[in-house]
Amino acid sequence: MTATVKIGQQLYLSCSALDDMIQALRGLGFTVVGPRVVDGVISWQTLETAADLPRGVSDQQSAGSYRLVDGEPELMFQFVVGPDGPKRYFFPASLRLFEFHVSQQNFVLDAGPPQVPKLAMLGVRACELAAIAVQDRVFGIDDPTTFRCESEPYYSQTRQESLLIAVNCTRPSGTCFCAAWGTGPAATHGFDLALTELRDGFLVQVGSKRGCLLLEKLPVREPTQAEIELAEIKLERARERMGRALDVRGLKELLDQSIEYPEWDEIAHRCLSCGNCTMVCPTCFCCSVSDTTDLGAGSQQVSRTRQWESCFTHQFTYTVSGPERNTIRGRYRHWLRHKLGTWWEQFGSSGCVGCGRCITWCPVGIDLTEEVRRLRERSQAPGSRGPTLRPGEVDHGPVSR
Amino acid sequence: MDQSVAERRPEPICGMNTWMPVPARILDVREENFNTRTYTLQFVDEEIRRMYRFTPGQFNMVYVPGVGEAAISISSDPGSTETLDHTIRLVGSVTRAIQRLDTPALVGLRGPFGRGWPLSAMEGKDVVIVAGGIGLAPLRPVVYWLLHNRDLYRRVVLLYGCRTPEDRVFAEELEAWDARGKIHVLVTVDNATGSWTGPVGVVTSLLRRIKVNAERTIVLVCGPKVLNHVAAWNFLQLHVPPDRVYVSLERNMNCGFGRCGHCQYGGKFMCRDGPVFRFSEVADVFGKEEV
Repeated sequence: MTATVKIGQQLYLSCSALDDMIQALRGLGFTVVGPRVVDGVISWQTLETAADLPRGVSDQQSAGSYRLVDGEPELMFQFVVGPDGPKRYFFPASLRLFEFHVSQQNFVLDAGPPQVPKLAMLGVRACELAAIAVQDRVFGIDDPTTFRCESEPYYSQTRQESLLIAVNCTRPSGTCFCAAWGTGPAATHGFDLALTELRDGFLVQVGSKRGCLLLEKLPVREPTQAEIELAEIKLERARERMGRALDVRGLKELLDQSIEYPEWDEIAHRCLSCGNCTMVCPTCFCCSVSDTTDLGAGSQQVSRTRQWESCFTHQFTYTVSGPERNTIRGRYRHWLRHKLGTWWEQFGSSGCVGCGRCITWCPVGIDLTEEVRRLRERSQAPGSRGPTLRPGEVDHGPVSR
Repeated sequence: MDQSVAERRPEPICGMNTWMPVPARILDVREENFNTRTYTLQFVDEEIRRMYRFTPGQFNMVYVPGVGEAAISISSDPGSTETLDHTIRLVGSVTRAIQRLDTPALVGLRGPFGRGWPLSAMEGKDVVIVAGGIGLAPLRPVVYWLLHNRDLYRRVVLLYGCRTPEDRVFAEELEAWDARGKIHVLVTVDNATGSWTGPVGVVTSLLRRIKVNAERTIVLVCGPKVLNHVAAWNFLQLHVPPDRVYVSLERNMNCGFGRCGHCQYGGKFMCRDGPVFRFSEVADVFGKEEV
């Protein structure tokens, strides 16, 4: 047992003490959530004991394919991200914002948003931490210029309450490419604790004061030099074994330049516009608010619900003159340009963290790393055209005078 | 409204929650044409009535309980916010629900959102306003503003076009503005019905009737997509610099503050970065399909 734990310190936690951690968190009033096997996939659920974790389970992922397979029986984290993750706790797929009724003079609030949960997230991957940081910027939680009527209290409060226990990836999947962005496989910041799974225990890195306080309740010890080195080697090996690669240099410029390339038509022939990629993406934030009313005569009881929305639907851009992006070509192009290009202009970072979910869960196996590679090839081909209309340049419309 | 208010983005109002509209009463409904009406609204809460400010070109999310919201520009005088006008064309589910309402029903409002017209960049310039159909609605507050602060601006010309003379919105005001001599108003129609003896043709055909001094002209455009494109390009061909051509654009909107993703236009959120854009800001995607 360690007397005081400091931020930045590394400690060793035995495999059997992981349950102590879960129970300690539950004792502190946290709901512990993390990966579990549900319906043949790794899905984020409530964890009651360490036995709920997918011990001995590994995953195989490739474009359009996901399978759970037997892994080494004693390891608890030898898989990577499944279709969901922390996002849906902070930004629920469906959130009842409030309920009210209409009186003669006013809209009378009957119920606000649900109570903010106090979450301890166990098993957050490095790419997920990067995605959380991206969504923090999207929802403007640290932006002092955000007006009250533009703030997202449910997101901000859930984030503030939550404790993040990261798990570094020692075995990337076939669709992982976090190393390209530098967002993984090891968590570098934004966590309370970060674990690296060794054979019979974890090397724990402490990231926050709350992480210190939690570890002080647990049977940890100083790690040996061999244990520290083993963790380093495992992470270095993981970095080398990424299933996908992406050249992230000049992506914004490439996507600006490629707006009229024929590659988009070719992708549109394969893309089903199903929106799976947007539903599994840990940074996609599009949503719609809709009203539900009761059918009671004259009671005018209304509840407003915010739900995830996908830019792959027609209705997403629907105006009186029809959908703004009427073709799959336009919708896929918008999604990819936003994710890799215009996101920089909006939020100062990429919208992609390299988790590979959009590749795995695409029913026809469209692979953004491959599509970017082909756009780049076209842009480098001799005779390829640059942007058709540069700022201030006019090449359209009848010439008068 | 003083000048400093025009430059600062006014704080939007909402209810207890971010997405909660604030009730406003319909005080008056005026027919503009066969499918367009102007609604005069007043916040029920007196405190909000006093606090509320907007700049010309901004919009509110107008809400019908149980139906939904639509982004609709404010069409009244920015100098008197005791009441607000919204000029609404019957085109979709929300606007249809609004059209079923009459005085003194309640609607909800959240706003104002967005970035409006460049009032200070217009100073000392010839101002050419180009509007098509209901596109005059978000420009009407600018006209009021110009009338109140006429000395700050040089020549002001309003070019307005619509399908038929009966389709003109704010028809009496168009005549009154011109009659006061402070603004030169030219109106054209696509089809001359009834006793119309004025110009016939698309709005940009009115350009033949005015002299544009590109050195000192600033252009404000709002209309259907094709008008925005053609008008902007026409003025660029007259050598008005791209940073002095402003267009107000339209997209599907849900939140009003850059959070829901619906209104993206290239890298811009139309609700937050627009709906008024300088041509030079959007030149990379302007006129491109499905961006």
